[in-house]
Amino acid sequence: MSSLRQVRFLLCKDLRVELRKKESLVSMAFFGALILVILNIATGIGKQVDAETGAGILWVAVIFSSVLGLGRVFAREKENGCVAALLISPAAPWEIYVAKALVNFTLMTLSELVLVPVFYVLFGAQLNGDPLNLVPILLLVNLGFSVTGTLISAISAGTRRNEVLLPILLFPLLLPLIALAVKATSAALAAQPFSELLDQLEPMAAFCVIFAAVGYLLFPFAIRED
Amino acid sequence: MTTTNRSSIFAGVSALLIPAAIGMVFFYAPLEKTMGSVQKIFYFHLPLAFSAFLSFFVAFVAGIMYLRTRRQIWDARLAASVEIGVVLTTLVLITGSLWGKPIWNTYWTWDPRLTTSLILWFIFASCLILRSAVEEEGKRATYSAVMAIVGFVDVPIVFLSARLWRSIHPTVIRSDSVGLESSMLITLLACMVAMLTFWIGLYKFRVSLQLQEAAASALLNPKH
Repeated sequence: MSSLRQVRFLLCKDLRVELRKKESLVSMAFFGALILVILNIATGIGKQVDAETGAGILWVAVIFSSVLGLGRVFAREKENGCVAALLISPAAPWEIYVAKALVNFTLMTLSELVLVPVFYVLFGAQLNGDPLNLVPILLLVNLGFSVTGTLISAISAGTRRNEVLLPILLFPLLLPLIALAVKATSAALAAQPFSELLDQLEPMAAFCVIFAAVGYLLFPFAIRED
Repeated sequence: MTTTNRSSIFAGVSALLIPAAIGMVFFYAPLEKTMGSVQKIFYFHLPLAFSAFLSFFVAFVAGIMYLRTRRQIWDARLAASVEIGVVLTTLVLITGSLWGKPIWNTYWTWDPRLTTSLILWFIFASCLILRSAVEEEGKRATYSAVMAIVGFVDVPIVFLSARLWRSIHPTVIRSDSVGLESSMLITLLACMVAMLTFWIGLYKFRVSLQLQEAAASALLNPKH
């Protein structure tokens, strides 16, 4: 029970910092919306995109904007030597891992509440699928992105080139998840029944489970400062 | 000193084996019926791919061993095999594209094997970039061990999901696994042996170089 409390405590602490400074969330939503506008121009003004292209566009915006938030999750702790403080606190490394992954999950989900409506405004004319079918896809990617990303951001925050290294290290690992998400999203946007999506959702869930386990095992090594 | 001597033995032997294998490819192995002389690249492509995967497996094992024992030798082994693996995967992608162009009429297709090799290349190349970005030895070793393990875990996932996300599958890809003529098989085995000997020689050279570099930098700036 006590680890649950530790995780909740760490999560509340990070969310409170975010609530007061609003640095990650604002820049994530802003940057994501900016990418959507750029891609809208890039696909040709006045042209309607089909479900497949639309799915790709949505995920480019989500992934690139989420990296901004993810980079802050650990960089914020590194700046004032807070990682050392976290490590000598009673919280176990895996509790820190879970709390950080949940912080990132929350930030991603909140920023998508802005991005998905913007996406529909800009690209939605031809897309007649039920937007609610996107919810499980978005949540699974948020989870997979957070469990993988938290591990990788612990590594990249330990280097002096955090902002550059994070996407370089993270994106290759996420490729299978994103590719499956794009396929599922294009089916959802093309108004296919929900049962059609399960073929992609199941391996996506497997990805989340595998990388959560890998993160749980490796995070204590990645975070330790020798 | 003995390590260097042994690596020169492997390098020397491979200097004899590789020309011999090339000779076999061009003068012993028969010409493939449909693909003609283009198919000769297969004798390099497959051993390259095999030794590339071997490198990443060695890196994975070395990563686990480093995290368990914290001994520098495992970091040197990891660094050596990741470096060799990236070079070999680059060659695999190049030879594969050269072979694919005349046979499939395209340099690139999103077949599971091609996708897996490409993503592997990205993951382990990023691991090399990571190594160049970290100065402190202990940190660099830990981080690259974590990346090597995570990267290797990703491989089967990439392979399986590549099958799912690509619905229109080129079936031609299986052409290399249909039964080989026995003289072709012997040539392939000769190439494989030559490549593996070369791999061991290269690996031993790189490991001893890594250790020497570490020793030199320890002399230059003793324990900060």
